[in-house]
Amino acid sequence: MPRSADRALPNRPLRLLGGAAITLSIAALMAVLFWTILEAAEAQPLSAASSIDIPWLLWITSLQAALSTSISLVVGVAIAWALNRLHFPGRGLLAGLFASAIVTPGIVVAFGLLTVWGRSGWLSRVSEVWFGAPLDLPIFGLGGVVAAHVILDGAFAATILLNRLNSIPLERLKTGQSLGLSARTRFEIIDWPVIRSSLPGLGAIIFLLAFTSFPIVLLLGGGPSVQTLEVAIYSAVRLDFDLNAAVLLAVLQIGLCSAIILLAAAAPAVPVSVAQRSPLRWRDRGWATPLQGLVLLAATAGFGLPLAALLIDGLSDAVQLLESPSFWRALGTSLAIGLASAILTLVLAVTLAAARAASSLKFFRIGLGVPAYAYLAVPAVALSLGAFLFIRNLGIAPGAVAPLVVIVANTLLALPFGMATLSPAFDSVVRTRGRLMRSLGLSGSKQFMLVEWPLLGRDFGTVFALAFCFSLGDLGVIALFGTQDFVTLPLLMLRAFSAYRGTDAAAIAAVVLILAVAAFTVLPLMFERLSHARAR
Amino acid sequence: MLRFFAFAFAVLSSIAFATAQEPRTLTIYTYDAFAADYGPGPILKPAFEKICGCQLNFVAADSSIGALRRVQLEGTTTDADIILGLDTSLAGEARATGLFAPHTLALDKLNLAWADADFVPVDYGYFAFVYDKRKVPNPPASFEALIAMPESFKIVLEDPRSDTTGLGLVLWIKAAYGERAADIWKGLKPHIRTVTRGWSDAYYGIFLKGEADMVLSYTTSPAVHAVTENDPNYGATTFNQGAYPQIEIAGMLKTSSNQDLAKQFLAWLVTPEAQAIIPTTNWMYPVAPVGDALPSAFGDLPERVLSLDEAAITANKAAWIEEALAAIR
Repeated sequence: MPRSADRALPNRPLRLLGGAAITLSIAALMAVLFWTILEAAEAQPLSAASSIDIPWLLWITSLQAALSTSISLVVGVAIAWALNRLHFPGRGLLAGLFASAIVTPGIVVAFGLLTVWGRSGWLSRVSEVWFGAPLDLPIFGLGGVVAAHVILDGAFAATILLNRLNSIPLERLKTGQSLGLSARTRFEIIDWPVIRSSLPGLGAIIFLLAFTSFPIVLLLGGGPSVQTLEVAIYSAVRLDFDLNAAVLLAVLQIGLCSAIILLAAAAPAVPVSVAQRSPLRWRDRGWATPLQGLVLLAATAGFGLPLAALLIDGLSDAVQLLESPSFWRALGTSLAIGLASAILTLVLAVTLAAARAASSLKFFRIGLGVPAYAYLAVPAVALSLGAFLFIRNLGIAPGAVAPLVVIVANTLLALPFGMATLSPAFDSVVRTRGRLMRSLGLSGSKQFMLVEWPLLGRDFGTVFALAFCFSLGDLGVIALFGTQDFVTLPLLMLRAFSAYRGTDAAAIAAVVLILAVAAFTVLPLMFERLSHARAR
Repeated sequence: MLRFFAFAFAVLSSIAFATAQEPRTLTIYTYDAFAADYGPGPILKPAFEKICGCQLNFVAADSSIGALRRVQLEGTTTDADIILGLDTSLAGEARATGLFAPHTLALDKLNLAWADADFVPVDYGYFAFVYDKRKVPNPPASFEALIAMPESFKIVLEDPRSDTTGLGLVLWIKAAYGERAADIWKGLKPHIRTVTRGWSDAYYGIFLKGEADMVLSYTTSPAVHAVTENDPNYGATTFNQGAYPQIEIAGMLKTSSNQDLAKQFLAWLVTPEAQAIIPTTNWMYPVAPVGDALPSAFGDLPERVLSLDEAAITANKAAWIEEALAAIR
């Protein structure tokens, strides 16, 4: 291959092979799940034309997802920028709180949003005391849905981008500082290339999440005028048991989402250099610092308060919960599932990202990028149906393998987030140091131990934390498996809600949030320490 | 030779002994909240096991309709003996699957008139709007009165496509107004704060957070606050058009190899002993007289009760849902 770029990349056939194997496995798994649904659908008579207004649904869903994505990215960049510049006590904790939004069950975050911003929320009460009138913000409708998504996803984007900004090499910063770059030029020249490399992956994830969001859209949508395809698919599968219609809708959703994924996966690697976190503190001059303060204040009010509200709501009555054995059982199950999924996710994401970075063939890079996102594009109710049928067809009792299926499903769910974090990072390392590694004749494993692990340890930690929290208990995939003895924290929360135990449910939500904040504060730091220790 | 016979005898008798010891298993598919923590399942299970000398296994899907769909997917290979937790709005559809066997039980001594040959009632309730008496001192007494409230008076509903309570309102309005149902929905539209995916999102996420003045729930909901939180401040509307019931049902499957055991369970389920467990675990009315086990906070039953023909529900459910959604879109 006489491509000029190739000469800069070390030759890593094993990495390419590993990545290809994972990609093919995921693609095969998805194909099999879909095939089993199609098979079951074949047994049914073809349905009469459904009354669903598909073009309109597609339009409103795409609009909502596009708005959610673009605003989330802007907000994410702003928060990451402000957190990168300002240093203050509690900064790490604040970053952890922002990051934990995305892994807390979305519906719970929406509850928190209402506690703060709602008609009877905190701000409304403040306004009543100060101005004599309650605040009635238009939370319900498209605006509310987008706002909730921005809270969840903007904060996530900020976490990933902050990691990238923190990995800008010291020499670059020192040079910039000695040149006396203005805040704006500094952002354009030093920050933007690093940020840009992460935007396609992040954008794709946020779009997919918003596109397939179900409970939040219904909770805050204000009625059936704001909808997503997912709810139509859910109703086709469950209420009407019309598998043909469900397959048709699912194919539509997958097609549209695939277009977005392809766009993201085709984005070229950006060669930016990365380094371990530098100790340099370089504050911007002039207007920038007050603006950064303002951004953080607004973010804390908008994102931090709803999460804080969950903690306050929940912890005021947590004592009773701590005495319940089912809580401890659920906590144990959640931690075990989280740990297993996190390890699996990290292994898969590292292998895929390393394989992607090792190639400059566009086709191969796209091929390795796409299946990682597949799970987000497939409707959840279709996945649970497919998984159930698949396991049955293998002749296995679904209840017996439920934990395994949950671990695999959660891993696939976390994988795109892992890829969005690690893929640009691996690209940077290989593209800026590939020539050097080649001339030194480093082997693949040496490349990992001496170069990538020390440089990217913190990112590994972030991925681990993400996957861990995501997997604390989403059980959507085993909806039909028989869940009575299987209890994770989010499931216990739902059960408490449906048994009118609101205080228990709120307390569980708070515990989940605390676990998430802890994971996001501690794990990246721990991985960073570990990776540095090994490098010495 | 003698030794061989002795050996064979020992083996055979140990097998016979094992089969005699191995308790039979009754498998009931139901919804998660019924079978798991907080629900009636964990209390019903040991109580029935003591009586039947068998093992009772609940298998929970995420919803009752999920449990039915699972049996449909499993076909003749299903382990289920009973499906429990479907309600009367889905009964016609469930019956049409041809999966259920007649229960052959005499059910004439129950709290409600019951003539269904396939299904046994488990518990029941009535749909109603629940409000906070301190904030809504004068609740509306009819759909018309609700529509006539100022536009700032908000209600929260559940989506009929994903939640049985939401489906219940569609049927309630249909039963009360027939052809005029769409007009009622149009009238409700300005009052609808939002339409959530499920009951708990509406109840806890919107109503108890103060984002809506009333939530679509059950007449029994205020009793929960009164009994568990000692909070008498919640009330449920009584609409003069009449109340629409939700009756949860159970039925045994034709494919079950434990028909006698299944029948024994269904017969026991409607006894006062089993029904006494229901009110404070599933927060619905028991179908048999249970005396003090029904807290007084449950209040009186509605005077006027509406109903719809099961065949009409099955044939028109999808059209009625679409009619309602179109009117509030």
